[in-house]
Amino acid sequence: MSIGLKLSGYKKAAKDKLISIYNKPKYVYIPLINCNDVDITVLVKKGDYVLKGAHVGKRKGKIKFPIISTVSGTVIDFVNMPYLNGEEVKCVKIENDFKEKSIENKVVNKIDKKTFLNILQDNSILGMGGAGFPTYIKYSTEKINKLLINAVECEPYITADYVLLKEHTEEILEAIDMIMDINKIDEAFIAVKKTNIELLKVLNNYIGTYLKIKIKEVPNLYPIGWERSLIKEIYNTSYDKFPTEKNIVVNNVSTIFAIYEALKYNKPLTERVVTFTGNIVKKPKNILVKVGSTATDVIKEMLGKEKLKDFNLIAGGPMMGTLSDNDLVITSNLTCVLIMDKQFERGTECMKCGKCVDVCPVKLTPVLIKNSLNNMERLKELQADRCMECGLCSYICPAKLPIREYVKEAKDKIKRGEEV
Amino acid sequence: MKELKGTYIKDDNSTYKMMNNLLLALIPIILFSFYKNGYIPYAQNKTNITGLFYPLMFIIIPAFTSYLTELLWHLFVLKKRGRELLISVKSSFSIFPGLFLGLILSMNTPISVLILGSIFATIVGKMIFGGFGRNILNPALVGMLFVVILSALNLTNSGGYLNPSEIDSLAGATPLSNVVNGIGSYTALVKPYGNLWDFFLGSIPGSMGETSALLCILGFIFLTVKKVIKPIIPVLYISTVFISTFAIGFINGLGIWYPLFQVLSGGLMFGAVFMATDPVTSPVTRVGQIIYGVSLGILTVIIRYLTPFPEGILVSILIMNMLVFILDRIGFKSRFKRIYTVIPIVSLIGLLSITTLYIGNSFDNDLEKLTVLSKETSNEITTYVVEVSGYSSVIKAEIKLNSTEVVSYTILEDDDNFYPRVKQTDFVNDLVENQANLNDVDTVAGATISSQAIKNLLINVINDYTNGEGYNYSKVTDEETDFVIESTEETAYGTIYNVKKNSYGGDLRLAVLVSDGIIVNIDVIEQNDSRFDEIYNNDYLNQIIDNQYDLVALDTIGGATESSSNLKQAVIDLLSSIGDNDE
Repeated sequence: MSIGLKLSGYKKAAKDKLISIYNKPKYVYIPLINCNDVDITVLVKKGDYVLKGAHVGKRKGKIKFPIISTVSGTVIDFVNMPYLNGEEVKCVKIENDFKEKSIENKVVNKIDKKTFLNILQDNSILGMGGAGFPTYIKYSTEKINKLLINAVECEPYITADYVLLKEHTEEILEAIDMIMDINKIDEAFIAVKKTNIELLKVLNNYIGTYLKIKIKEVPNLYPIGWERSLIKEIYNTSYDKFPTEKNIVVNNVSTIFAIYEALKYNKPLTERVVTFTGNIVKKPKNILVKVGSTATDVIKEMLGKEKLKDFNLIAGGPMMGTLSDNDLVITSNLTCVLIMDKQFERGTECMKCGKCVDVCPVKLTPVLIKNSLNNMERLKELQADRCMECGLCSYICPAKLPIREYVKEAKDKIKRGEEV
Repeated sequence: MKELKGTYIKDDNSTYKMMNNLLLALIPIILFSFYKNGYIPYAQNKTNITGLFYPLMFIIIPAFTSYLTELLWHLFVLKKRGRELLISVKSSFSIFPGLFLGLILSMNTPISVLILGSIFATIVGKMIFGGFGRNILNPALVGMLFVVILSALNLTNSGGYLNPSEIDSLAGATPLSNVVNGIGSYTALVKPYGNLWDFFLGSIPGSMGETSALLCILGFIFLTVKKVIKPIIPVLYISTVFISTFAIGFINGLGIWYPLFQVLSGGLMFGAVFMATDPVTSPVTRVGQIIYGVSLGILTVIIRYLTPFPEGILVSILIMNMLVFILDRIGFKSRFKRIYTVIPIVSLIGLLSITTLYIGNSFDNDLEKLTVLSKETSNEITTYVVEVSGYSSVIKAEIKLNSTEVVSYTILEDDDNFYPRVKQTDFVNDLVENQANLNDVDTVAGATISSQAIKNLLINVINDYTNGEGYNYSKVTDEETDFVIESTEETAYGTIYNVKKNSYGGDLRLAVLVSDGIIVNIDVIEQNDSRFDEIYNNDYLNQIIDNQYDLVALDTIGGATESSSNLKQAVIDLLSSIGDNDE
């Protein structure tokens, strides 16, 4: 049985539009962060001239993942800017010279697995669905026999993957084929929502060429696009920490497209499609944005006609996104910028209707967690740390209480408690 | 900032919408109550214009009282002022404790008690716990408990649950109160109120809002579709009561009407749909709700059969309210470990089976109450016509015996549901043939209880015959025991007892002169019996005087069995009551 809830999509607005382009910001801000790890070695200093794709930072520790410049230009400052997790993160501020000069543009013809991993690492390819997990690590596993392309995009409002897959079907299929070839994977699935009929039609036109790639239709439920539930839905199996335990690699469609560009043109990940939408946006857009731009710049340039003011800016979708400052930096793991009005319904007391319990995809009991916030023992019993922050509890709550935030608080408490 | 966090789209449902839907679901019930308890008595001219609108007032007054109580509480205790006050009272849904209280009480509850009850429900049931969403017990039921304790006497004195139109035609309080003295029969339980259809529609006595099962079911469907209630609770509650009482009825040979009667009475439907599902006081986890629903059913059955309280909803729900926190503990654990689902469910099924079997079989001991309707002897053959009323059925039979053996055994009537099965077999003839070893005659498979009853009846009659005593002459039917000593007069010859007895055709009045405990003379003062001439013809009055030490053995007059037996019974009754007084 699929777990989840059918949510209204709010997706119509952005669906049939082509992808617009915003790639000429005057300044870019490169946040020195990866997977919430800010322990980064800075490789540039003020005044340095950097090429597009040059490494400006590198994660310390085991995972030496590079952070790259997305334009060519001069490093002019280090500033703190709002990042999609709601916190301010130290960024390298680069003044764009608009020359787009890249580092060595050597295209490799015959790619073996080792070269493949190097290309992914050097070009800073990461999980573009939101997690930002370095992709090369997923493929470092010895034996992979299943590749799953996540094109579900189950969160309302977001259509970035949808338009990307629809407009670049051939490229994406070719990339999947290449990945399968290099990693000797014999089966790949593209998971698409049943209700995306247009997209399924387009896919079916091209899929015949690739016998090993199959389309898997999944029900229109949230959060079915979440890695765990998607794997449960498609392979009917579960894993402890990573899908690679079951020899599965899951990639987001955007990530696949980034891999395509890296393999084919050795192009670093410097831009991505982001959905700019919201309940007060009349003409929402999917925009190919230069990574490092600020939301303010993009909105001014691309949605200027709408004269949006006095809104809440949310980094991410309406369910999992975080309320953010307008200067939010667009990063390669940001799928959506949501522009919502400031009206919020006043909450009532919790009346223990139990709806949050019914909807929780990880089988938590949010209402009891909320009531046990001061009881550490109980919180552990309630396994609050399993929360995946999908937000369904907050969504469903008839008292309009931010239940997810309470559970998150409990989750943090448990994690902190364990560290102490 | 915190309230701005969370999701940026929300489900359309809200607490306000849920509560409005709840109110909407109650409106048909309130209107029906007005129709049944106000309009019908008014249309029958049994009440005046005040009485017409009284049921509405009875519901509105406590709702308003609750609202007012809470307003004052917010004002003086919580010190809320202005806009803040209005919002906090509005978001506290303060009319419900009183509204529900009005619906679950009898309309004969004095208004003053009702108002006190609403205040109590609001303050003790809700506000002292911290208000809406924090109370442990269902506030309306807390109020009802208070009212029940406060007005236990008042209630029974002022007509119980009957409205002005019912009070003239019905004797009992509610249908279920007839169950307390044994398992009952269709005639005793359902007939006085019409048929099961009346129970379903709600034209039976009961509290203001509880009687119509139909409206409760419609409310249930509406509230389930609108996602207001936890539907699994009422479904399991009612199913459990149904299954259990079905089995209890089955064990005792009762048909499907019996469990239907049980679930349609005593406000079970209303309690299950509206009171047990109160979100604040019921579990939030699925397994918790399952345990809650089934336990409510088991508790209700236990209370209905094993305690003197006939309805059991109030107490069941209050008890389970107190256990909700445990149920939710089991409930959230069950989400991670299957064993926490399996153990409670297995235990509940076990508990349900044990309770049901225990209650079902507890009625067996009282199965045979033999009544000898007539006993005549002619040509060496004694003919008994007897009746056994068990809880399950009434058996009427004719048995002929001579001095050595049972000659024939004929079942005249048997309304046991399994009797047709017995009838298909040769069981009755087998009994006659094997009368020397009756214990060796096997009962009929598939109709054990019914055939056992037929067998026991024969054993009892044989015992009666061989002992030469009236087996059950003291337990004759109601109209025959209707014996009164109207007056006594002391005279020089002894005491004259003027007695009256309901008899064949009408009253029978005798003047009996008793001296030193011995009947000296019997005069018939009044009789309305066409066959009474036979008494005079046979000099039966003197026969009675002559045989006054062994009246039981005195034969009745053939052709005037009823008349003579009644006359004889009147004298027996008199002698026994004189005997009682002497002691």
